[in-house]
Amino acid sequence: MVFSFFANALSRPAGGWLAGALAALLAASPAASAQTRPADTLTTRAHRLPEARVRAVRPERFAVGSQRVELDSAVLAQYRGGTAADVLGSRLGLYLKNYGPGQLATISLRGTSAQHTAVLWNGLNIALPTLGQNDLALLPISGNTQLAVQAGPAAALYGSGAVGGAILLRTEPDWRPGLRGSVQADAGSFGLRGGSLEARTASSTLAVRVAGSYRQAQNDYPYYLRQPTGLVRYTMQNAALRHQWSFSPDLAWRVGAAGELTAAVWLTDADREIQQGTSIAGSNAREIDQSRRLVLGYRRATTGGGQWAVRGAWFEDIINYSDQGAVSNSRVRTTQSQAEYTAPLGQRASLRVGAEAQHFAALVDGYGSEPITENRAAAFALLRYDPRPGLRLSANLRQAALPAGLAPLTPTVGLEWDVLRPASPPDSLAPAPGLTLKASAARTYRAPTLNERYWQPGGNPDLLAESGHGFEAGLRHRLGLASHVVLESELTAFTQLVDNWVQWLPLGPGGIYSPRNLRQVRSQGLEASTALRLRQGRYQAAARLAYALTQTQKTQGVAADTDPVGIQLAYVPLHRANITTDHQWRGWLASAAYTFTSYVYTDASGSDFLPSGGLLGATLGRTVALPGRTSLTLLVQSTNLLNRSYESYPTRPGPPRAFSVSLRLNYK
Amino acid sequence: MKRLLLALALGATALAGCDPKHSPDPVPTASSTYVLSEGQFGKGDGAVSAFNTITKAITVDAFGAANNGAKLGDVVQDMGIVGTRGYVCVNASGKVEVVSLPDFKSVATITKIPQVRYFASTSATRGYVTSWRGPYTNYLPGKVIVLNLSTNTVIDSITVGRCPEQLTVLNGKLYVPNSYDNTISVIDASTNQVTSTVTVGDGPRNVVADQAGNIWALCSGFTVYNSSPPYNVISSTPASLVRFAPASPSTLLTLPFSSGSPHQLRTSPDKTQLYYSYGGAEYQMSTSATALPTTPFIRRDFNGFAIDSRDNTIYGAVSTGYTTNGYFLHYPAGGGKVIDSVTVKVGPSGFVFY
Repeated sequence: MVFSFFANALSRPAGGWLAGALAALLAASPAASAQTRPADTLTTRAHRLPEARVRAVRPERFAVGSQRVELDSAVLAQYRGGTAADVLGSRLGLYLKNYGPGQLATISLRGTSAQHTAVLWNGLNIALPTLGQNDLALLPISGNTQLAVQAGPAAALYGSGAVGGAILLRTEPDWRPGLRGSVQADAGSFGLRGGSLEARTASSTLAVRVAGSYRQAQNDYPYYLRQPTGLVRYTMQNAALRHQWSFSPDLAWRVGAAGELTAAVWLTDADREIQQGTSIAGSNAREIDQSRRLVLGYRRATTGGGQWAVRGAWFEDIINYSDQGAVSNSRVRTTQSQAEYTAPLGQRASLRVGAEAQHFAALVDGYGSEPITENRAAAFALLRYDPRPGLRLSANLRQAALPAGLAPLTPTVGLEWDVLRPASPPDSLAPAPGLTLKASAARTYRAPTLNERYWQPGGNPDLLAESGHGFEAGLRHRLGLASHVVLESELTAFTQLVDNWVQWLPLGPGGIYSPRNLRQVRSQGLEASTALRLRQGRYQAAARLAYALTQTQKTQGVAADTDPVGIQLAYVPLHRANITTDHQWRGWLASAAYTFTSYVYTDASGSDFLPSGGLLGATLGRTVALPGRTSLTLLVQSTNLLNRSYESYPTRPGPPRAFSVSLRLNYK
Repeated sequence: MKRLLLALALGATALAGCDPKHSPDPVPTASSTYVLSEGQFGKGDGAVSAFNTITKAITVDAFGAANNGAKLGDVVQDMGIVGTRGYVCVNASGKVEVVSLPDFKSVATITKIPQVRYFASTSATRGYVTSWRGPYTNYLPGKVIVLNLSTNTVIDSITVGRCPEQLTVLNGKLYVPNSYDNTISVIDASTNQVTSTVTVGDGPRNVVADQAGNIWALCSGFTVYNSSPPYNVISSTPASLVRFAPASPSTLLTLPFSSGSPHQLRTSPDKTQLYYSYGGAEYQMSTSATALPTTPFIRRDFNGFAIDSRDNTIYGAVSTGYTTNGYFLHYPAGGGKVIDSVTVKVGPSGFVFY
């Protein structure tokens, strides 16, 4: 009933010149592939307690023992015409439920649902308050400079929804002096056109960045359907990305010696035709999604070595859907405020205490004509303690207050112990072995969404927050194979439980569907990754292989909830594997990512499924220096390079092999 | 790197080998009980299952089995049989799939019938399907689409009321319940014109004819919910079972239900008994009765119900929500202990016998 099934794709045969350029580039160098190293910022960063400088102390500092993957701006630059869905799905190999290129893409972290991954932008939750989830296809990469994914329950750090994990988007000020920037144009298969620009400048007190991107795609790609007469070729209809804009200026201003003021804006606007599935006739559904996000922050260091920070934010999210005269419009305005104080406790510990409040004002067709408002608040305390070098501990706590009562108290504890410690600085490629044991335990929660509370008929204002808890433990290993080669591996075992899982069942008055806290779901599995980095002269390479086993089942329910227990949940693949490799040599760049997904059930009975298979994508690039501090970069990218015929969701055939070419002019 | 890729390729092959194996459904070869399942909306997995009452063999997806794995479509709503042809109304796919019986091979597809609902025929060459128009909550007057069953083409369309549902044929006339109104459109099959409109209760959904030549309409009533918490029902018009004689349509026997919404009005093969689902149970009522029965016939909440005209055995469909496969129960003639319980697809809702 939630009119937000969006999806789509991008492609129209580009001109002959493009094919020629492509062939030339491909002939010039073997296609290779790339992947970033897993960034365990806590272990690889120098041990440093709260900073005298006004630099932000990030919440990750308190996430000891958790598994994180971070992509830096160099990798993100390859995807700057794309969206978070492209990076998380194709590059990191995380499982996305994707209705087509550019169409609705939601994530399942550790077997949980889309509402169980918190998405934070500069520390603020940007989940759509109506749906309690994000369409990752609506988050253009150009809007941010950093993207990280933390797996596992982490409500103490990230608040509601951090059940399967959290996606952290951030714009970090670039204090390098001078002006730098780039402008890029993209063209690709099936009507893909796009462009982006970015400019940064900084003085000693002011850092400014402006980024914008535009994309459109016809997505009129061919696909085949099995008909009684055999395979029949069709052309995808009503799947165009009519436009997608992103504009994100931000600035950081150092005020005096101890203060810093930050301001960031992120405007996104997408107009999509909604592909309804190849078995549905006659739909011309269309959806406008607009989000306006503003955040103002001020941070100040105290003389005692502490730091306090306040943030205020205002968001507006609009979803306007229409199909053949049926209209569903929604507009939610969210104001958020956060205040926190971080203090050193002696030489080895730091403590952060803080509070936040959210106010939602929703005007949603599905809630009736009256606006709905809701307030939520939370207080938290985060402790990091390093009793001795090589041993890191954290203990965090959050208590949220929701309209229907208190959310569960959500503590987290974490431990990392360097059993073998490298003697040399951890960021070098020096051949020093290292072995770290890690473990964490956490409770978590998810607040009911506005739809769950107010949708009519059926909305249930008495719904409780979902609660969950999880444990994980594992190893990180680091080995220098030679002076220029390092191998980093990580193995994590996890188990987690979500209780009071909300399910819509026909239990309302008159048998209408209504959400209830009914279900318990258990997810457990293994995550393994190994990454090789090599640097020799002007050649740099990286390769990363990751595998995940995720077993997720309903373990308890009520009689009215007919989904069986003990069967792998729909749209949770048991096995996933991902390999990425990146190579750079002089001005050349070659990169590839292959993602394998085992079969996924498409119903709760465990009878229908989408078959297993893999998708390969690759990038080939060449940068040429030009006079006047400028350079020119040509990128050729391909998705579904093996031209596999697949569906990422039933009746949603994926696009065939597609190409795009990007030309970027850099200045620095 | 090559070694790594090779290892990955091998690993992927090994994992891909783990896909569940489906033994192919047998192609139906004999007369069957056809069980209609809506399927999950958007997945295109609506199905007609063929159940052989003698061998107890089930072909869950008869259309796919007989047609190279092709999907039948999205939301299987109804199926009619004329001679050796089946006509499957596939609602969201906006089509009528014409199959030969009993092998279920595709014969033709009649497309571009938006929101197609139910099928009826007046002769071996003439079929009618109801078709809704307009979007949810803004429905427009619907259509009865006239089909030439020799050529499997649309030859005419007749405007009726909003959301026309399960129609019936009696003495050369079509009775079409307009479920978003309170009327039944009467169509003369020889001219394809609406000749009269009978006002009944709110929300008529099924129309059947009994052995005495009367028309019965099951009306669901309209329910309005409060627009603020706790979203309770603030107004509702009663559901009713309405009877009239075609010769005197203004003289109605109206049997109101005290509350709730009955559905799925059916008749016994001899048309002397009516059946409907109400309040989580199946009720039986004689066509000569003038009051609603108070005791259930079978205490099960059926999403579909039918009596097999070949042996008078009883079928009830049990839907278990929109994410799990439902099943049907098969009872002996007159009711009693379940003979068969067979899993089909998501949302089983009806039976047709051939």
